[in-house]
Amino acid sequence: MSRYNQMKHTFTYTLRILLYLILIAPLLLFAAYAFSTRWFFPQPFPVEWTMGTFQRAINDSRTLSSMAQGVWIAFLVSILSLILALPTARVLGLRKFRGRQLAWLLLFLPTVIPPLAVGMGLNILFLRIGLAGTITGVVLAHIIPTLPYTIFTLSSAFARFDENYEYQALALGASPWQIFLKVTLRMMTPSLVVATLFAFLISWSQYLLTLLIGGGQVITLPILLFSAASGGNPSIIAMLSLLFVAPPVMVIAFTARSLNQHGNEIREQY
Amino acid sequence: MRGHPLFSPWLSLAPALTIVMVLLGASLLYAVAESMDFISVIGQDEISLNAYRETLNLNSEFWISLGFSLWISIASTFISSALALLLAVWLSERHGDADTLALNWNLAFPHLVWSVALLLFLSQSGLLARWAVALGLISTPADFPILVRDRFGIGIILSYISKEIPFLTLTILAVLRSQSIGYDVVAENLGAGRWQRLRYVTIPQVMPALLAGALLVFGFIFSSYEVPALLGVGYPRALPVLALRFFLDPDLRARSEGMVISLVITLIVSVVAVLSLKIEERE
Amino acid sequence: MKRFVFLLVVLTMLLAACAPSVAISQSAATNPPVTADAPTVAGELDLNNWDSVLAAAKGQTVNWYIWGGSDSINAFVDNFYGVALRERYGITLNRVPLADTADAVNQVLSEKQAGKEIGAVDLIWINGENFFTLKQADMLYKDWAQQLPNSQYVNWENPAINLDFGNPVENMESPWSSAQFQFIYDSARTNANELPRSYAELKDWACAHPGRFTYIAPGPGGFLGTRFAKGALYEVGGGAEQWLNFDQALWDQWSPELWKYFNELEPCLWRNGETYPKDESELVNLFANNEVDFSMTNDITGAGRWIADGRMPKTARAFVFEKYMIGDFNYVSIPLNAPNKAAALVLANLLLEPEFQAAQILPENGFGLGYAIDVDRVTDKTAQTALQNAAAKLGDSATPASDLANSLVGDSAAEYPNLLEQGWQENVLQK
Repeated sequence: MSRYNQMKHTFTYTLRILLYLILIAPLLLFAAYAFSTRWFFPQPFPVEWTMGTFQRAINDSRTLSSMAQGVWIAFLVSILSLILALPTARVLGLRKFRGRQLAWLLLFLPTVIPPLAVGMGLNILFLRIGLAGTITGVVLAHIIPTLPYTIFTLSSAFARFDENYEYQALALGASPWQIFLKVTLRMMTPSLVVATLFAFLISWSQYLLTLLIGGGQVITLPILLFSAASGGNPSIIAMLSLLFVAPPVMVIAFTARSLNQHGNEIREQY
Repeated sequence: MRGHPLFSPWLSLAPALTIVMVLLGASLLYAVAESMDFISVIGQDEISLNAYRETLNLNSEFWISLGFSLWISIASTFISSALALLLAVWLSERHGDADTLALNWNLAFPHLVWSVALLLFLSQSGLLARWAVALGLISTPADFPILVRDRFGIGIILSYISKEIPFLTLTILAVLRSQSIGYDVVAENLGAGRWQRLRYVTIPQVMPALLAGALLVFGFIFSSYEVPALLGVGYPRALPVLALRFFLDPDLRARSEGMVISLVITLIVSVVAVLSLKIEERE
Repeated sequence: MKRFVFLLVVLTMLLAACAPSVAISQSAATNPPVTADAPTVAGELDLNNWDSVLAAAKGQTVNWYIWGGSDSINAFVDNFYGVALRERYGITLNRVPLADTADAVNQVLSEKQAGKEIGAVDLIWINGENFFTLKQADMLYKDWAQQLPNSQYVNWENPAINLDFGNPVENMESPWSSAQFQFIYDSARTNANELPRSYAELKDWACAHPGRFTYIAPGPGGFLGTRFAKGALYEVGGGAEQWLNFDQALWDQWSPELWKYFNELEPCLWRNGETYPKDESELVNLFANNEVDFSMTNDITGAGRWIADGRMPKTARAFVFEKYMIGDFNYVSIPLNAPNKAAALVLANLLLEPEFQAAQILPENGFGLGYAIDVDRVTDKTAQTALQNAAAKLGDSATPASDLANSLVGDSAAEYPNLLEQGWQENVLQK
């Protein structure tokens, strides 16, 4: 029996290693291309290693500013989605009321209407009201795909939320603001973190909406990567890919556990 | 707080609902208006159905792209559903969180980056082909099968199934794990074999969830741009690629045709979403 | 069913809720709003007083919309012009990389449509087709190119300069560099004596080496492919000069021959001609990875830029056919609604500075295109020597200057590329 257990243990262990290998295989592939040059068919491994691409990417103000811009946009998007989602999610998670289903449907719509149509439709409107090509315009557009997921994540957390804690705090003389900060927010922290991170990631990796609303003036990493990837220099493509996946990889690594609860909800936007 | 007569839930819903409805509504409206040249590109704003005639006439590239898009979406959805079903059943018999954790790994790689990786790995002179040369299996790039940027969309399909299998697997696993193991055990006690159990017990159980998930996947694939743009060829092009090409054409009259295609995509995706919703509801 | 009704309700609500906003924007479109803080830009720059232009440009940011597909060109632009603009003129360069120049044109035209009097684009690296589009739309800043101080070095008498794709430049764009179509081969793989020297020989070569040749699909982003196909049209039609003016009958006469040539070539191509690389970069990758034996370039430095970039083996060399290698000049233009015209003018002038012209053709600097200025017009001896020295340092991977000159022909009228790209799609690709 113990022998069987040991075998089983070894098997699970091997499986785990294998899965983690698959996880890092793309990273290894990118690293091999990013830090080599003149690596042509049929050499099975890079022959000429170089830091040149990395240095060029770091010294290229484009790369850095696109990353900074992407982070800034994603930050604004996640904060805004959170602010918009909190009251909505609370009501949807805790209350039963007439038209609740309708509200769900309306908030669910953005996940159905393709970003292509949204971006193309908003293009002229934003041009006319001066939002095209601005960070504000891009942030607004990004909220469309992030909001439903923030709401879904938070509302399922509110569904498990016990309001009695708030009443107890109220009975003990806490002000509404104190209750919100010290009780509600604190109890919701894990879900809030997950919701924020994924709003951040959805915005960070958004290509079409940024392209259509940013009109070449708001440049984020996906825009650079896409234009490099359509046939370009493999080293640069791989370097940009590495920079592009760095935040998601870190987020996934840190939130691995809570992902098992929420991961599936956001997957489709990716 | 609770039950306050003046407190309406809609008050809390208002900010989010307004944003979503204004942005989505405006984009749809503008799309429809531009497709009919009502908000036109050059000069006069007059309603005309020219763009519809141009796009939907039988000789236009639209139909070929529609066929191509349907092919890649249906094939990807079908293959990933089948594989996800097998994987979920296999995983449901085992416990531990390494599996679900690993299923989340592809979250780290957005479709765009994932396609780039496939491109570097699977092209005729890519890494796999180079290793095949080192192993003496092939000698020139032309000997290696065309797996990306191919005419039949194999690369696109590969990219989608490797990304969607985890999504569907987790959807099915959620159902399987929420069920009590009862039916399965009963069937086993009645002498049902492994495949019989799969066929008569497991599949009917997960079918509604799988179908709803598959339809969502279909809708997503049918309307997304990045993967077919990167892993596809110049002809035939997927519908979203064609739409964006028209939309960004220097000849601005083509924009309305781009809008028509984008509306067709939206229509098809909405129909599919409604189907998915009804299936989920029946469950 | 219940949910279906819900969806319908939702849709109707959406439509009803948004109707007023459309009415508003419709009226906004007919009367473009006048923004109060809009800087006044149109017309009052005094180009005859260059110092006043420099003064106006100081502190501005110039938004240069430029094809961004080459990392080495991007680096050249930032390191040479970007630095000089900042240090000498107090101008910030904002290089906006484009996948296709048409995107910049699209931007300008959508701004026009939206009635935006202050646009986003200051300067565009433009090609003949897009120049033609913007000129037609009346969205180009006028009367400036020959007023630039450095315009004295440009030989405006040369029809290759004062016509862009056969379309009169009319002082609306200023040249930057020159280019000529060439092929690239790998001297380690292919013997120089066996290279094809005409389109007819190319077909024979391709069919003797099936799957080892392909060309870039003519079309958006595939500028070199269009140029390759135009060369074939010249050879099939037996001459280059006749294509300078548009003549539909001439096109109708020779285009079937052209499709015939391409369709005969097709089965011998890479992947049997089922697909084609869509841009230069993709063809370069195919060539470097030994999938095909020839690449194409417009660079005066031949394969030099690609070798310096690590994209091609060091044994790559350029070669030309005996005839019909199309060469031309390329230009920058300023949209009518450019927000920083003064800075754009300074930059356009900087591009023609002999110092930067000499820098742009050196392979190690990564730009690789030729001079726009006439070296003989440069009176300063040091500058002239620098230009001559640079031209002598093009290296092994470039085509010898005499070969380039002997095979050189001019580009065609601007109507042909469109006809050619569309016709190629219909008669070659989709067949």
